[in-house]
Amino acid sequence: MSAGAIITTIVMWAIFIGGLSWCSSNFKKTKSKWE
Amino acid sequence: MERETWSKRSYFIFAALGSAIGLGNLWRFPYLTYKYGGAAFLIAWMVGLVLIGLPWLIVEFGMGKYFQSSAPGVFEGIGKKWEWLGWWAVFCAFLIDTYYTVVMAWALRYVGASATMAWGSGEAGAKGASSFFFKNVLQLSSGPDKLGAPIGTLVLCLLIVWIFIFLIIYKGTKVIGPVSQYVMIIAWVSLVVLVLRGLTLPGAMKGLNYYLSPDFSQLGHLDLWFAAFSQIAFTLSLGMAGMYAYGSFIKKKGDVNNNAFITGFGNCATSFFAGFAVFSVVGFIMQSLSIPVGEVSTSSVGLAFVTWPVAISMLPGANSLFGIVFFSALFIVGLSSAYFLAYGGVISPLMDKFGWNREKTSLIFCIVSFLIGILFTTNGGLYWGPDILDRAVAFYGLLITGILALLVVGWVFPVSKLREYVNKTSDFKVGIWFDWMVKLVAPIGLTFVVLYGGFIPDIKASYGGYPRWASNFIWIVLIVTLILSFVLQSIKTKGVSVSSTKSEVKEK
Repeated sequence: MSAGAIITTIVMWAIFIGGLSWCSSNFKKTKSKWE
Repeated sequence: MERETWSKRSYFIFAALGSAIGLGNLWRFPYLTYKYGGAAFLIAWMVGLVLIGLPWLIVEFGMGKYFQSSAPGVFEGIGKKWEWLGWWAVFCAFLIDTYYTVVMAWALRYVGASATMAWGSGEAGAKGASSFFFKNVLQLSSGPDKLGAPIGTLVLCLLIVWIFIFLIIYKGTKVIGPVSQYVMIIAWVSLVVLVLRGLTLPGAMKGLNYYLSPDFSQLGHLDLWFAAFSQIAFTLSLGMAGMYAYGSFIKKKGDVNNNAFITGFGNCATSFFAGFAVFSVVGFIMQSLSIPVGEVSTSSVGLAFVTWPVAISMLPGANSLFGIVFFSALFIVGLSSAYFLAYGGVISPLMDKFGWNREKTSLIFCIVSFLIGILFTTNGGLYWGPDILDRAVAFYGLLITGILALLVVGWVFPVSKLREYVNKTSDFKVGIWFDWMVKLVAPIGLTFVVLYGGFIPDIKASYGGYPRWASNFIWIVLIVTLILSFVLQSIKTKGVSVSSTKSEVKEK
């Protein structure tokens, strides 16, 4: 893979994992439950 | 009668994700990323998610929850004169489902074909895949004027698709919730299998370079922004009426904002992940057949039913198994979107308006949709259903109703009231930026898409190169469904009238 493709992959996964982790951390703040 | 609700929050999230994650995640997003400069497209796509996708999701979930009603009831609640807008979106959902399920029927046909490798193995299979799809499976005619007769195998597959949908929807959210959970888990596991197999194929990295290598010069082109914004509008299943109904089933103290963000991020992450499966296979074909990327179908029907079968036939082993996994995944992601369109998009609005029984409404809806769908299993069905009708309802219908809905919610309801309401019960609050996204930015973005990618090219030249009499069907569908929407507005609501819940709404 080219360097550009690798950087794109890393940045995008950082955004998605970061975004979804932030959403999940909001559950704890309000003591809302997944179930 | 008390409105049904999602018994668990996770059921709502899985159902919303299931509705958003569909065929487009697999066959449209990866192609657009490749075509519009990899990382450059991804930047515009994420901008579209923030400016249009997330605010629009909050509007549909929040308004459904506020009025405890599906799309027509929401707009009736804003003002009786707006109810038609909800019905217009309902007609779009109904028509989309009639041909979307036909594509699922093709996928089901290919699950069977994969078991015997009906299009052939090795190089013979690679050469025969295209002819197998167009000549054997679709028996495609030369143009839309030659409709021909329904193809028996496809009608049978379509019937199976509608039986699946009926069994999932006729009990409402009680079954849709848990089924969505399993459907999404199966879809993601299948995608992981496809990506892992794809990445271990020779030439995979070459394909991924085409998918992801950045070309930032494209950021200055309007085409890229059109593609990114339209993809965001289509991928989240917005403007199809159903998300209002799904939102209306959220419990009174349930969250809206965080659920919208999870749906948006979850859907986009799935699209991005699916691209690895698609382009590793594209790279494999390029290497195996020594052809350039331009000679490989990388999007839409051609990608799913020609490129993948070519790759499957060229695999060194477990060809049938890989084919079954891929086409089952295609069927599964389509299924969750199809029952969303059916239940959230059409059945729930009909029950709210006329007070009809769920089981009977579901049965009648499935039978009528199946019968209409038979038209698209004919020799000329591909032209009329997944192409011309798709342009009418899934492009123009979705975008125009979406723009108008955002403007009505933004300026008439108004959106500040919605923001206060959703912030009260959500895990986090959205700020005043949300108001301006709904009132101005998202409608402008969507108007750009409908003008730049729709009216301007379609007026200059007939859509898809079809004769004018065929492409004019697009405008006929839009006008007829609009008139029917006003007819439905004029009928008195016999089900759960939003006006009867208004006092309760005011107390909130």
